[in-house]
Amino acid sequence: MPALGYSARMSGYVWAVVATAACTIAGLALRPYIDPVNIAMLYLLPVVGMALRQSRGAAVAAAVLGVLTFDFLFVPPYLSFAVDDLQYVVTFATLLAVGLVVSSLAESARREAKARAAAALDAETERLRGTLLSSISHDLRTPLAIMSGASSSLVESGERMPQAERRALAQSIFEQSRAMADVMGNVLQMTRLETGAIAIKRDWASLAEIAGAVLDRLAARLAQHRVMLELPADLPLVRVDATLIEQVFGNLLENAATHTPAGTLVRLRAAREAGEVIVSVEDFGPGLAPEDFQRVFAKFHRHSSEGAGGGIGLGLSICRAIVLLHEGRIWAEQLPGGGSAFRFSLPLEQAPSPPEAEREAA
Amino acid sequence: MSEPRAAILVVEDEPEIRRFLRASLGAEGYRVVEAASAERGVIDAGSHKPDMAIVDLGLPDLDGVEVIRRIRAWSPMPILVLSARVQERSKIDALDAGADDYITKPFGVGELLARVRVALRHLRRSAKGSPVLIFENAKVDLEKRLALRGNEPVHLTAIEFKLLACLAKHLGLVVTHRQLLTEVWGPTHAEDTHYLRVYLKQLREKLEADPSRPRHLLTEIGIGYRLLAEER
Repeated sequence: MPALGYSARMSGYVWAVVATAACTIAGLALRPYIDPVNIAMLYLLPVVGMALRQSRGAAVAAAVLGVLTFDFLFVPPYLSFAVDDLQYVVTFATLLAVGLVVSSLAESARREAKARAAAALDAETERLRGTLLSSISHDLRTPLAIMSGASSSLVESGERMPQAERRALAQSIFEQSRAMADVMGNVLQMTRLETGAIAIKRDWASLAEIAGAVLDRLAARLAQHRVMLELPADLPLVRVDATLIEQVFGNLLENAATHTPAGTLVRLRAAREAGEVIVSVEDFGPGLAPEDFQRVFAKFHRHSSEGAGGGIGLGLSICRAIVLLHEGRIWAEQLPGGGSAFRFSLPLEQAPSPPEAEREAA
Repeated sequence: MSEPRAAILVVEDEPEIRRFLRASLGAEGYRVVEAASAERGVIDAGSHKPDMAIVDLGLPDLDGVEVIRRIRAWSPMPILVLSARVQERSKIDALDAGADDYITKPFGVGELLARVRVALRHLRRSAKGSPVLIFENAKVDLEKRLALRGNEPVHLTAIEFKLLACLAKHLGLVVTHRQLLTEVWGPTHAEDTHYLRVYLKQLREKLEADPSRPRHLLTEIGIGYRLLAEER
């Protein structure tokens, strides 16, 4: 960015001129009261200031300008650059040296601060990578162990096994591979969302329709719970990427099913509010600890109560990324009777022009 | 199975995937023709004249969508597309190019065989006249333009009949938004997805036992709709 660097450099020099001018005015005002050599000390201020806040070049400029102005106005012969006293050469050298030393100190401090920030970012990335690796290695290694065990049993001794046994082994290979595909899918989806590799494809969608499709897809997963739909009949259409919003619905429902006892109610609701639709998934399980309201949406967050089976902890952070892509908000709440609510908002747009009314032949 | 030896062309470059497709389709009594590349697949589709084709979208030599176009140029054979989850866009392109249905990898063979059966049934029934559709507790005669819910007549508008007929033509198969909009409202409305949202809601309210959890007029999120019904 040479243009930006250039203008930043220029503003440094402008500041050097302004600060030196201010000192000169102060010097002229103080002249009746103090020695010229002490007035020279005033010119240290812009030099140090430029060195700290601007560049080394600006500090040198302030030193040169300061010495020239000082020489011209305060050193006899006045209003000339002639210097007849060696001590003013020392003043100039001192100003310049102070400028250079302070600016290089400031420079290295700035560099160090930048390096520290970069190191902190690296450490955070490293920590996430570490969590990702340990989650993935657990969530993928277990199904892999089951799959290689079950399939090699079939290869080695399948012929000597009762048919029911063979079938059970094959079935478990199938189920474990499905679970693995889900984990992989989530990791890939999160990566795509984070790197901006997902182009959101908006189209008019019906939330009721999305809800119906999700309940169909997750029928087996939600079989242990009673799922109740509360969607008003006049809910307006929303302009969203339905494939992504379907994932939000799905992840919230799966999350509810995972964290609440079998047989409890899970309620999927939507309501129109000023300029937006609020969608909620409410459960009647143990609820969230207060410190979890924010944390649940963080990557790789698992409830402390969760054992190994809680998934990789990406479901809710995927929800958050998708909702943010749609310019909505997502949050968790404690419900008055216990249980928790996960809600997100989707902005409403001007409704599309409806299909032309049909003229019905009698 | 009235055609136990239906021939199925499998265009898939991954040998291990071809292996289990060959094994499971063969076990169901189908004759399997294998092609490991798109070029080979297009040639085999012409020389072997299979009853249907299963085409992988991620072929190395040529876009799977192009394979579908080339087969569609001369043959109405049902085409089932295999796609990975990341190929959302090309899946829709494939369907718009004439593929009849899709299945997302990784898939279970049970799912695949169900799709294959629907596709082959489609092949045999396309000659038949307009059917009577039987829903859980409704019945629609597309030819006589009559609809009953329980034993009560239900009024369907002209567009609702048209929409239903379009879905019924591809009974059990997915129909894309674009296909439905073009066929029912015309090409100038090909992007007006909200028309479908409005009309599908109406149809579900008239024909589904529980419109909020449809069992016949199914939504394929981001793609289109699929009609499941018995026909008579």
